[in-house]
Amino acid sequence: MNLQEQVELVEKIRTNLKKVIDPELNINIVDLGLIYDISLLEDRVAAITMTLTTPGCPLHDSIVGGVKYCLLEMEEIDDVDVQVVWEPAWSPEKMTEAGLRAIGR
Amino acid sequence: MIPQNLGSETNIKLPFSFILFSIIAMILSQTLFLVNGESLINGIYRIPAIWSAAHLFILGWALMIAMGSMYQLVPVAFLTPIWSEKFGFIQFGVTAIGIVWFAGALYISPESALIPGVVMLAGILLFIVQMGMTLRKQAKPNILTIFVGSALLCLFITIAFGITLVISMNTGFAGSYYTSIFKSHILIGTAGWFTLLIFGFSYKMAPMFSLSHGYPMNLAKYVFGMYAAGLIMVVLSFFLDHSIMLTGGFLLLLIGFSLFLYHISIIVKKRIKKKLDRPFSFALLAIIFGEIIHLLAFIAAVTNTLNVFVGPLMAAYLFLWIAFSIIGYLYKIVPFLWWTHKYSQIIGKKDVPALKDMINEKLALPLFIIFILGVGIVSGGLVLGLAVLFYIGQSLILLASIIFGGAILAVMKK
Repeated sequence: MNLQEQVELVEKIRTNLKKVIDPELNINIVDLGLIYDISLLEDRVAAITMTLTTPGCPLHDSIVGGVKYCLLEMEEIDDVDVQVVWEPAWSPEKMTEAGLRAIGR
Repeated sequence: MIPQNLGSETNIKLPFSFILFSIIAMILSQTLFLVNGESLINGIYRIPAIWSAAHLFILGWALMIAMGSMYQLVPVAFLTPIWSEKFGFIQFGVTAIGIVWFAGALYISPESALIPGVVMLAGILLFIVQMGMTLRKQAKPNILTIFVGSALLCLFITIAFGITLVISMNTGFAGSYYTSIFKSHILIGTAGWFTLLIFGFSYKMAPMFSLSHGYPMNLAKYVFGMYAAGLIMVVLSFFLDHSIMLTGGFLLLLIGFSLFLYHISIIVKKRIKKKLDRPFSFALLAIIFGEIIHLLAFIAAVTNTLNVFVGPLMAAYLFLWIAFSIIGYLYKIVPFLWWTHKYSQIIGKKDVPALKDMINEKLALPLFIIFILGVGIVSGGLVLGLAVLFYIGQSLILLASIIFGGAILAVMKK
């Protein structure tokens, strides 16, 4: 896979991750600013670095699971490694404009 | 960056067992209050049917809900799995049998309530063991651990006082302290166990439900310090029969509660989510009710009229602060529980509903209004001694309890 194809796949992953919704806020996790990094470890193996709005979020396992299911549904991906990190902590500045609009800002 | 993965969600059957039991206990207890209205209006609280209803309400409903919610919230809020789920099911069975048997015995033949009471207390003790072992495993204790840990300690003290009361009734042991122990049992069971627990979990849930960010947490330790000191001082005043100490204790409780109200208001002001949902707003309203009740209790202590107003104040504290907080938060917790059970394996693959679509949110406002009206009218009926007001108000509370139970059960069809 050349660099251009890798960039396109990362963007496709980002778009697909919008299918994962935080059910409390009803906003997708990309617009909520939870996705810190998307990379490809190998051709068909994705690595996601993400956070949650707060440590001890009751939806931790569900959202992380959702990210995995979402990527494994893609025909270009065979495996995915999801790392949840708390540093840097999530802040509202990480939200996209669409995310802010969705919560009435 | 510190990676962290969890696998700490509790088997849904465990918290739901408690919640379903509590719905039945709520409806049954409110029915018992309704059919025994005449005694209540005449100020006769110490009759078997009222004892039975009160214990069904406080233990069967509020305590069981608190336990069920903790089985769900403790693992996620403290980032540690429940010590033993199997032990949890045993604990549920023992406590449920104990409460039903105890409430039944109180109704039919109070003199035979000792053994079922012991079974019930054993169930509660098993819960304390379960939570104690779970909290011990927490990697980094924080202010929430102090609130929840102290609440559990208060639950243990409440049980110890309860057992002492039963022994005292049967043997005359510590007979001269009976009233002091009884008052302490009630205070530590309500303001200690329930309030400290609600404080602790509010610090977790309020920022989550309002998506609050950048708020200070240092006030929480003063809330805890003041409220805990107030509890200790009031208990001491019961045993020393010291009115100034009693007033001082109620002042500390008022300051502690006011600080909590102020702190939550800061958290809510720092929110990013513009519009708060109704169930959470209801839980916030309960804090304002709690503040008013603490203020009234302090005024009653200052004016030496606590003996006159203690009944209505306790009822208001139980319903307007504790019950309303629980109802508000439960309206949020149950959809989350069912959503996790039903959709956590589908999220990312297919469209999933939002949590607010899991429960009838349109029902929330009328339901909460019926609850508030019911409690208000019942209180008016009791204070004025008007049977008609009591029956109207209590019927509204029963109706709201049935609607609330139905709304919770309907979540399971989603």
